[in-house]
Amino acid sequence: MLSMRELSRVYRTDTIETSALSSISLDIADGEFVAIMGPSGCGKSTLLNIIGMLDSPSSGSYVFNGQEVAGLSEGKLADVRKHNIGFIFQSFNLVDELSVRENIELALLYHDVASTERRRRVDEVMDKVGIAHRAKHRPSQLSGGQQQRVAVARALVGSPKLILADEPTGNLDTHHGEEVMRMLQQLNREGSTIVMVTHSPSHADYAGRVINMLDGQILIEQRRAA
Amino acid sequence: MRLSFTIALRALTRNRAHTLINILGLALGLTACLLILLYLRYERSYDSWLPDSDRIYQVQATWHEPGQPITHAQTSPFPVRDTLAGGFPQIESLSVMRNGQTVTTRDGEAIFIDSAIVDPAFFDIFRLPFVHGSAAGALSDTNAIALTEKEAIRHFGTSDVMGRTMSLGAGPGKRDYRIGGVLRDLPKNSSLRFGILFRYDPAEAAGLPASAIGWGNMSQQHYLKLRPGADAHAINAALPAWEKRVVAPQMIGGRAASQADIMDLALVPITGVHLGVAQHGALTPGGDPRALATFVVVALLTLAMAVMNFVNLSTARATQRAREVALRKVLGASRPRIVVQLIGESLMLAALATLLALAAVELLTPWLGGRIGADLEVTYPGIGGLLLPAILLFVASGLLGGLYPALYLSRFRPAQVLRANKSAAETPGNGRLRTILVVVQFAIAIGLIVCTCVIYSQTRHVATVDPGYRRDGLIQIESAWRFAGDSSEYEAARRELLAIPGVVAAGRTNLGLAATNKNILAVRTSGAAQDSAIGYYAVDAEYLRTIDVPLLAGRQLGDRYARDRVVRAEADGAVLQQGAGGFNVVLNRNAVTLLGLGAPQAAIGKTIKVGLDGEDMADATIVGVVEDTRIRTARDALEPIIYGYDPDRTSLVLVRYGGADPAAVMAGINRVWRRFEPEIPFQGHFVEALVAEIYAADRARGALFAAFAAIAVLIACLGLFGLAAFTAERRTKEIGIRKVLGARIRDIVRLLTWQFSKPVVLANLVAWPAAWWAMRDWLNDFDVRVALTPGPFVLAGALALAIAVGTVAGHAIRVARLNPILALRYE
Ligand SMILES: Nc1ncnc2c1ncn2[C@@H]1O[C@H](COP(=O)(O)OP(=O)(O)OP(=O)(O)O)[C@@H](O)[C@H]1O
Ligand SMILES: [Mg+2]
Repeated sequence: MLSMRELSRVYRTDTIETSALSSISLDIADGEFVAIMGPSGCGKSTLLNIIGMLDSPSSGSYVFNGQEVAGLSEGKLADVRKHNIGFIFQSFNLVDELSVRENIELALLYHDVASTERRRRVDEVMDKVGIAHRAKHRPSQLSGGQQQRVAVARALVGSPKLILADEPTGNLDTHHGEEVMRMLQQLNREGSTIVMVTHSPSHADYAGRVINMLDGQILIEQRRAA
Repeated sequence: MRLSFTIALRALTRNRAHTLINILGLALGLTACLLILLYLRYERSYDSWLPDSDRIYQVQATWHEPGQPITHAQTSPFPVRDTLAGGFPQIESLSVMRNGQTVTTRDGEAIFIDSAIVDPAFFDIFRLPFVHGSAAGALSDTNAIALTEKEAIRHFGTSDVMGRTMSLGAGPGKRDYRIGGVLRDLPKNSSLRFGILFRYDPAEAAGLPASAIGWGNMSQQHYLKLRPGADAHAINAALPAWEKRVVAPQMIGGRAASQADIMDLALVPITGVHLGVAQHGALTPGGDPRALATFVVVALLTLAMAVMNFVNLSTARATQRAREVALRKVLGASRPRIVVQLIGESLMLAALATLLALAAVELLTPWLGGRIGADLEVTYPGIGGLLLPAILLFVASGLLGGLYPALYLSRFRPAQVLRANKSAAETPGNGRLRTILVVVQFAIAIGLIVCTCVIYSQTRHVATVDPGYRRDGLIQIESAWRFAGDSSEYEAARRELLAIPGVVAAGRTNLGLAATNKNILAVRTSGAAQDSAIGYYAVDAEYLRTIDVPLLAGRQLGDRYARDRVVRAEADGAVLQQGAGGFNVVLNRNAVTLLGLGAPQAAIGKTIKVGLDGEDMADATIVGVVEDTRIRTARDALEPIIYGYDPDRTSLVLVRYGGADPAAVMAGINRVWRRFEPEIPFQGHFVEALVAEIYAADRARGALFAAFAAIAVLIACLGLFGLAAFTAERRTKEIGIRKVLGARIRDIVRLLTWQFSKPVVLANLVAWPAAWWAMRDWLNDFDVRVALTPGPFVLAGALALAIAVGTVAGHAIRVARLNPILALRYE
């Protein structure tokens, strides 16, 4: 699915230079479930953002689905992104002004999908994550777990090959956290590739492969037989 | 208290752009309001500076002759001077005032001076201050004159000229006068205007023809002072009955007619003259109360827009401050305290805006005064000063602008606001209010743009519409009653005029282009029950050819036919020649239609009866019909006109030239004039300039409208800019999410731009009908007017939309380009 070689990301401000990622090389195959762990500030989110093409590497190569994406224009990146990648965030990032249904539909708005087809697919994912009965509610009227389920539904609705989740359980209690993890596991079984950042070792156990990072570098990788 | 102040100051400096927009917008609105207030007060101050102004009245006359538009005049009939005071003992004193110009020679050059002939009682009515001399002796006899200080200094170089002599008048009327008093100059806010006052001589009336001393002679004003406590309404109520008693009926062509039936007299307070309906015969240009009211409304709208910005931006910002307010509530602040705090902030902004506005008013007042020719003055204390209204406006706008946001903010429930993971305490209702305010603002702006466009195209239209004669290459010589009126002298002058290179024709008339006075005749056709009133123009044989009016049927008047010329008996200048069959006339198309004579060709040879000079009816045979002309303003309806070959009554000369330098032609005419008329100043004008001057007030009004439209657009844009900045900020997270989900920059820009375009589009729906209605009303005032096409409406809408999009696009693009991770990183 994707392959990185000697990839670095340097943040430059007026006074200091932070090397968030240094010479990372990483391959992720189709259908994998990868968990990324490591102390705060080690570059996990930066890596995930680069994988998701929200950020561009300072140097190195990044091949996604056989296409070199380092150096592509914003518009091109957006194009590749919307057809291939779904995002789940720690803080849900739902739009408060829109209803649950509209929030999910948002992910299809920038695809060329007819409105009837949009409705059908939104209904489908809402059923899948069990939030259909709250379709007309505002995010602020839902609990944290319900909000994250909406976020998962939104990540799914475009049928992406790759789902990126940055601490999806960080804002949830144990019970709701487990619920989201089981959902991701289910998606992985259905064929989605998943890359997830987490601080919780028990949640990392859901993954088939755990990457430990430190100071912008990959420390160790552990693979588990599925 | 000091802490509150500190918090307020910090809140204001924290949102610098927002604060600046609020203050600038409000300052603009306040400046517009205060300037209009100054102007309004100035217009209303006319003549109120006169001592006893509440007891001084002008006698005004309203004429409603059948077939003629009603004339509201500041002048009144000749016999008023000798009859009115006898009928009403409440009148303390009354004076006639015949205004005109007198001539004097200064440095070898003839010049005009505005003059007035008055009774000594004039100084009892108008207790004008004297620099030298006094009211008692100023006009002790008909050889004495009173001068204004300015005129004295212009003529003698000093105002100390008591007892010196001044030679005034021309020809046989030229006399030496003794200066009996020097008056202080009249202020600009005066409906009176004169440089020299003569004493009226009642003995002069003895030698005048009946028409000059009758009720039809309207060429003078009458002023009077009532006794203290007298009621002018009572006199006005009694005037119709008095008129019936005093005005003797005349027999015109066998029918009894009384001027009392077609004329109403009324006493109008001197302070109401300037803004009154009667402006015919006014000495200084009258004010337009409707325009004034319009500008007051527009100024208030501008202020309202600024206050709306205030409300709008403050409530928008409320979402950002919700947390602060909630925290303070949790910490124990009561709701009233929070309301007071927020209103305090609003008042602080309003105070700053007011100070800015006052500074702007100080700077702009001299400029505005110069533009409109007024002595505008900024004073602060007292009822007439600016301080009180400024404070009122400050408090009103501060409270209005602060109250809603304050109540709105303090209503937030802390728990709701402080709940985690909520970025905005936005309620849908609040968003709706803001949209409504933006709609109203843009509706006002669009409405003003539409009005500006329509006023502009109408002023262009009236200046370019075919007036029925050719305006270019035409010069009008005024004050030529002697030059033109004596035909034997004129023939020699005319030959010299035609000898000037480029001059091709010259003709005479008594009512020139851009004329304001009229000469109405009673006209009778066989079979018509009622006489028609039709304008009479005394012209010579060349006039219609000179101004280039097309002949529709028949022929022009001329010397080849003896009966063409109106001949008056020598002894009494008013008696018309009544030879067999009367005289010949030319009518314009409108008169032919009005008299029901059918097509122009059909009217030729028909005979009508006309009451020339208000005398008995005489037969007039129609020998020609010419096209209609518009020699007056575009507001006046097309006039029915009878042209008579009556050269001795003419007082203006029109000269047509072509293929020559206009200035050289004018100089040549001036030389001819000086040779024939050295005592009277040359008054030649290009007709195109004369016509332009008629519409100067309309153009000035249009310019003021454009200025207001610009201010309104600016304020609306300031508001939109602030709102867009705020919205863009508030929506960064949402936009980040959209971008993560695949939206491109142009999707985001389109989204934001459309959000702000919607209210502008909606504003059009509000503005268009209102502007259409207002403009139709305004245009109805004109006889010649442009059609109300969709053009200005579409243009204004498109302009507003373009401005709105331009204002918002910057923010939209900035936000759209932001890397989404930055937006989503922190909650
Ligand atoms: N926009 C930025 N500008 C400058 N430095 C940045 C920026 N974003 C991230 N960094 C720095 O890059 C490093 C890696 O940040 P990153 O967000 O990837 O850490 P993380 O592993 O996700 O940490 P956490 O577990 O706390 O989320 C940090 O040192 C951070 O300060
Ligand atoms: Mg992180």
